[in-house]
Amino acid sequence: MELQRPSSLAELPPASNSLLLAGGTEVVPLLRAGLVQAETLVDVRAVVPRGVEGDRIGAGATLAELERAAGLPDALREACRLAASPQLRNMGTLAGNLLQSTRCWYWRLNWPCRLHGGDECFARAGRHREHAIFANDFCASAHPSDVAAALLALDATVETSVRTMPLADLYRLPDEGDPRTTTLGDGELILHVEVPQPERSVYLKAMDRKRWAFPLVGVAAVRNGDTTRIALAGVAPVPWLLSGELDGATPLPENRYKVDVARALVRRALAALD
Amino acid sequence: MPSVEVNGHPYDVEAAVGTTLAEALRDELRLTGTKIACAEGHCGACTVLVDGTPALSCITLLHALDGARVTTIEGLRDHPMVASFVRADALQCGFCTPGQIVSAVALVEATPDPTSDEIRHAMAGNLCRCGAYPKIEEAIRTWRD
Amino acid sequence: MARLIRTEKEVEGRYEEVWLVVEEDALDQWPQGPREVVGRPATRVDGFERARGEAVYTADLQLNGMLHTAVLRSPHAHAQVRRIDVSKALSLPGVHAAIGPGDIPQLTDHCGFQGAAVAAVCADTFAQARAALRAIDVEWDVREPLLDPDEAVRRGALLAEPRVRERGDFERGLAEADVVVTGEFRTGTVLHNSLETHQAVVQWTGDGVDVHISTQFIWGIRDEVSSELGLPRDKVRVVCHYMGGGFGAKNDAGDYTFVAAELAKRTGRPVRCALTRREENLAAGNRNATVQRLTIGATSDGKLTALGGDYVNAVGWDGWLAPTDGPLHMLYACPNVRSTLYGAKLNTPPMKAFRAPGFVEGTFGLETLLDELAAKLDLDPLELRRLNHADRDASDDRPYSSKNLLECYRRAQAHWDRRHDVRSRSTDTVKRGVGTASQIWYGGGGPPSYAWVRVGSDARATVVTAMQDIGTGTKTAMAQIAAEELGIPLEHVTVSVGDSARGPYASISAGSSTTPSMGPAVRAAAADARRQIDEIAEQRGTPDAPIEEVVSLLEDAQILGRGARGPNPTGMQVLTFGVHVAEVAVDVETGEIWVDRVAAIHDVGRVINPLGASSQIEGGVIQGIGHTLSEERLFDPRTGAILTTTLDAYRLPTIADVPEIVTELVDVPDEHLTNLGSKGLGEPPIVPVAAAIANAIRDATGAEVRQLPITREELLRALHEAAERDRRGAAAPV
Repeated sequence: MELQRPSSLAELPPASNSLLLAGGTEVVPLLRAGLVQAETLVDVRAVVPRGVEGDRIGAGATLAELERAAGLPDALREACRLAASPQLRNMGTLAGNLLQSTRCWYWRLNWPCRLHGGDECFARAGRHREHAIFANDFCASAHPSDVAAALLALDATVETSVRTMPLADLYRLPDEGDPRTTTLGDGELILHVEVPQPERSVYLKAMDRKRWAFPLVGVAAVRNGDTTRIALAGVAPVPWLLSGELDGATPLPENRYKVDVARALVRRALAALD
Repeated sequence: MPSVEVNGHPYDVEAAVGTTLAEALRDELRLTGTKIACAEGHCGACTVLVDGTPALSCITLLHALDGARVTTIEGLRDHPMVASFVRADALQCGFCTPGQIVSAVALVEATPDPTSDEIRHAMAGNLCRCGAYPKIEEAIRTWRD
Repeated sequence: MARLIRTEKEVEGRYEEVWLVVEEDALDQWPQGPREVVGRPATRVDGFERARGEAVYTADLQLNGMLHTAVLRSPHAHAQVRRIDVSKALSLPGVHAAIGPGDIPQLTDHCGFQGAAVAAVCADTFAQARAALRAIDVEWDVREPLLDPDEAVRRGALLAEPRVRERGDFERGLAEADVVVTGEFRTGTVLHNSLETHQAVVQWTGDGVDVHISTQFIWGIRDEVSSELGLPRDKVRVVCHYMGGGFGAKNDAGDYTFVAAELAKRTGRPVRCALTRREENLAAGNRNATVQRLTIGATSDGKLTALGGDYVNAVGWDGWLAPTDGPLHMLYACPNVRSTLYGAKLNTPPMKAFRAPGFVEGTFGLETLLDELAAKLDLDPLELRRLNHADRDASDDRPYSSKNLLECYRRAQAHWDRRHDVRSRSTDTVKRGVGTASQIWYGGGGPPSYAWVRVGSDARATVVTAMQDIGTGTKTAMAQIAAEELGIPLEHVTVSVGDSARGPYASISAGSSTTPSMGPAVRAAAADARRQIDEIAEQRGTPDAPIEEVVSLLEDAQILGRGARGPNPTGMQVLTFGVHVAEVAVDVETGEIWVDRVAAIHDVGRVINPLGASSQIEGGVIQGIGHTLSEERLFDPRTGAILTTTLDAYRLPTIADVPEIVTELVDVPDEHLTNLGSKGLGEPPIVPVAAAIANAIRDATGAEVRQLPITREELLRALHEAAERDRRGAAAPV
């Protein structure tokens, strides 16, 4: 294995058999656990912008930096503050956090599940208390990013090396033809995230211990005028924009409690926006 | 061959790409004060400072350090926080303690008089199975005494 | 004069008879209360070594030419190895040797649980050893796993005969009761997850072997290795200077020690075999899950007339019957008690002792159901416990050597009285309440244990004994005892431990037995040294000269004191007691629980080091909060494969999860127990935590939780059930 450190987008090596690396908090453990393989690691920290300029956040900014950035929306800062552990927030980047994989234990233990290209979702018939309550037919994995839910509710825009799009378009539900949960092309890098300032925004998180845990349910709520956007973490294979009611949820036997929790947190988030 | 500065000293470390900073510190430089307890970035025992910021050395690639300054527990042996931990009995088996002290030092460098909430928030990534937490909090609160 | 006697020794509730060399233990106990050194707070004698990262744990040991091992463990809960071929692994770079089923008894081809050790490879680096594992060619015959404990009982898949215990007449006791409550309780599987994983470094030396190991029992390892490898015991040297936590999982040599020993023999090199964190979550032992079906009967004034329990311990593929039934028989005065305890043999990783094994689980069931009884009788729960206090051990009609549980209850009252104020701060969505639970456990320790005390002309002393300090601070307590007995400052005492070649036999650090076993031996050794110094002073005609003056004459000569742990009091029950009062807040919509405060009051005889003791209590409470709220080992129901193998999935408490913990120690010496009157404190503080929290939840919300951990789903279930009960109760005709 070799490590390259390009200093510009033009210097990025071809995508095949290479892995992009910034903070490394996902890539390094996945590499060592054998869940990803690569001949070349590409350290993109010199290529991906950092820092916050008005509404525009460099995708290489760490969660710790965003937690401290006074001008950012409350929901985003709170999502950062409650995410992961202090060390992981120091190391992990915004883009890395958006692109992180599920914590589904079957996936993480490399069972030949649908996301790994197999033909079964082991969680559905197995243990799934932490798993999805929406869009969980094909794959019951839950998306673990607090920040993604906050940005989805904030209607953020993602600027990559190839295109600019609403954050929602960064994600896709896995299906028979394609098990991926993101839409990034080979070698496509997230460079900036643009986050419009809302009138009010909140982020509430339910987790299994007081700190350093992934969301059982995370609720981001954003108000602009009479429009309210609500997005949830931990309830679907991708960050979930709540368009209907929670009654539309399709929980599995062990995770029905998530509907109750989500209902309560949504109600409280809306109240907090007032 | 990557070079890394540890506790103010530059070292050239011969190691394959993929070697973590924790492995380099322990196996190549024989600085075993930094412990590996999970090797996956979950427990904080391996915490070191990278350019003054707490980071998990067990998931930091040696080759990605690129000139960063690393501080390990060996570089903090005379920091008043060490004596504060001993005084407060903020350790039991001691395996997590170096990592705790590294995180604690970074906290008080940024916030010399942290509140209980600030301590709990900043130290949440350092697990202690023996449960020395109450006295760790006390050690941090009283580090200047 | 020495004599050899048979005496009874208890570890974690299991009694055995041992031979003991007794020398007269003529020392009177010190009077109650803090002394010059003993009974005063002392910081750890090795605190700086540990804090600075200078302490060398087994994980840090680097011996010249040392090789690293990777172990092939069964990925299947139940499988037979059909075929295995290590030859390709042997040809990989850096690989020195490989062993497989049959090469040593610890490597098997009949795998009864996920994690069973099948083969092992050693190489120059761990990465090379891991790579070589992947090159081992193995074919499995995967079989159906038996995973459910009740199913195992139905099928008779048991590790031992069911243990039936009865006193009095349970059926008659039930008939006499005015009120009967029953309940089914379940506790989950809990993993020790010490931060230093299980590991050993083994090196053959001439005709002997050095075993460096992270262990709780240096001398037990010596015996095990000597017997397993067919070596005289004194040719086995076991070393453990610092170790990173055990909690019961490191009482034996495991498979890794013998894997390392065999590979070291074949290669002529020192070999490390260390478990990874994932292996630690898989194959390093656990507190087994339990199913408890309990019955309590009482008269309307609150006196217990019947206690009944059917217990199933989900022991796993191997292990022993933890005494889940212990509290039922021992905690309260009740004339009629009956229990049956099954040990289910399952295709799950074997249990190992974990901090008060059986009693933690059993106290949860009993103490939680007892509060349901209190509610039905409309009796104050703390008063109910006082009412049923046992003045004499009812399980085998022995007097207690000492018992101050009533004093613990008396001190608990002030904490208990806070409940009105606590409840009044409830809101619509966050309900607050207070709960209590009693604790009973062992902690008397026992012989044999020995110590030497060496005093030089500088009036400094070294305590020498080959014991281990697993993080409890026992080294410091030993220093305090020696300093007290010799009459010298604590700073002038050094403690040298951790090496079976460099000290006499020391007890296991389990069953809360180190302080009560080692302490008296150290005191006796210091007293022996003191006596010799006094005799010298007498000879010189200066009987009142200070010790510094007397020994200053020694030059190179030394005073060598020797001491042994005497026998336990005969015909008495030596136990520890306590009570916890927990304050919780419950979000009734989201199921979130905050443990705001725990008052932990314990009676463990004389306290040697109040600072270290309060740390033990805090640690036990926090570990208890872990298994009460967030820790559970899960497996896939179809295959038995363990799902929680990493520390993000298996959730230990963080510093943010810690309540205010108030610790109180009754600190009255047990006048019958040794020259110290001290019992152990390692386990008592974890025992009542879960029940106190569950009872506080009931106090706050009426919800009856019946399962550990109290996950959101369990709490929401119990809240819904309580609301249903209220609704039906409100609707019921008067």
